[in-house]
Amino acid sequence: MRSTLGVLALACALALTATVTQAAEKDSANASRASHDSTVRTRAGRPDLSGFWDLSRTQRPDAGLVAKLPANTVLLEDTGATEFPPGEFGGLKVKPDALAAAHRWKPEDDMTVSRACQPPSIVYATQGPFPFEIHQGTDLIVFKYEYFDLVRIIFMDGRPHPPADAPHSKVGHSVGRWEGDELVVDTTHLSAATITNNGLSHSDRVHVVERFKLSPDGGTLMSTMWFEDPEVLENRGARYIEWTRKPGEYVYPYECDPSFGSKYTQAK
Amino acid sequence: MKTLLRRVFLVTFLGGATVALAHHSFAVFFDPERIISVTGKVTEFQFRNPHGEIGLEVQTKDGRTETWLVETNAPSFLRRRGWTRDSVKIGETLTIEGWAARDGKHYMRLRKATRADGTVIGVPLDANFDPEKED
Repeated sequence: MRSTLGVLALACALALTATVTQAAEKDSANASRASHDSTVRTRAGRPDLSGFWDLSRTQRPDAGLVAKLPANTVLLEDTGATEFPPGEFGGLKVKPDALAAAHRWKPEDDMTVSRACQPPSIVYATQGPFPFEIHQGTDLIVFKYEYFDLVRIIFMDGRPHPPADAPHSKVGHSVGRWEGDELVVDTTHLSAATITNNGLSHSDRVHVVERFKLSPDGGTLMSTMWFEDPEVLENRGARYIEWTRKPGEYVYPYECDPSFGSKYTQAK
Repeated sequence: MKTLLRRVFLVTFLGGATVALAHHSFAVFFDPERIISVTGKVTEFQFRNPHGEIGLEVQTKDGRTETWLVETNAPSFLRRRGWTRDSVKIGETLTIEGWAARDGKHYMRLRKATRADGTVIGVPLDANFDPEKED
């Protein structure tokens, strides 16, 4: 009896020790993960996206962000320097009129004084490689792009988009909200501009939704930019774009000089 | 979509600073497979967006004079590679290595500019950059 009780006691002690050990290990693991989450946060507790962001050399599509893309979406593989040749649109299914216009496009048409300084919209302007700054407040977040000096205001105060006939621009009208630690930005009122820089353009009815997420160490800003345009596309498109934070750097003024547009025609 | 999730995009930076356009498409205007070298006297230097430009007066082997236009990347990228507005002087001789225009014009996109004394202006783009070998 004594030996049986002793064995039982030992077994209980061992089981209890194992349980305590497992709990301690779990707490340690949680503490370890927590200590590795060095995300800088604002006073409101949101991830602080402020800073200078440069296109990351390596793009590693974040599974969580990509999974949230709506159905019937193709992920374009032209982030950064990659460019589609004429007639290639990365899987976008283009409606006939827009396709015909794309086929009529001649690259030299853009090399004129009147067009040399026409910026693209955010649909193409943000795919790289130019850097940008984010200045984050509570009710406003400002994106200041080096590319063509574009500046976006993201309204975070819950306001809706303006009426459809409100002015359109290359940066459009953006409203944002937080979904946990992800910034979701919805943009309308973009004026027509290129999607893939090879003749395919979106209309002024394009709708864009972006999701931004910081890496746990706060050094990488991951995003998807999704767009739909029923006037131009049968399906939807998206890009995954990732940037690296570089403290101490700033965007340079772009200050486009349209005289560049006359140079190409001068070459023989 | 699943394929893309497993795949890491290696952005074609060609040496840390992209040759991608500021505006017009590099792939449409220039042949990425054809790198040429031209030596000439600088006749102009424009350091402005969307692209800087260097004009060269080139003497051919048969005694003719050709005018070449060299397009650079956006000055903001050039600055980050060590260029300034004063990097190129009118009248100096430069050897420019870069990508030839697809249409055969005397027009090219700069990869590397070397002075007559052998010094390289700024940090050149690496024509041998292999994104598959980058982490």
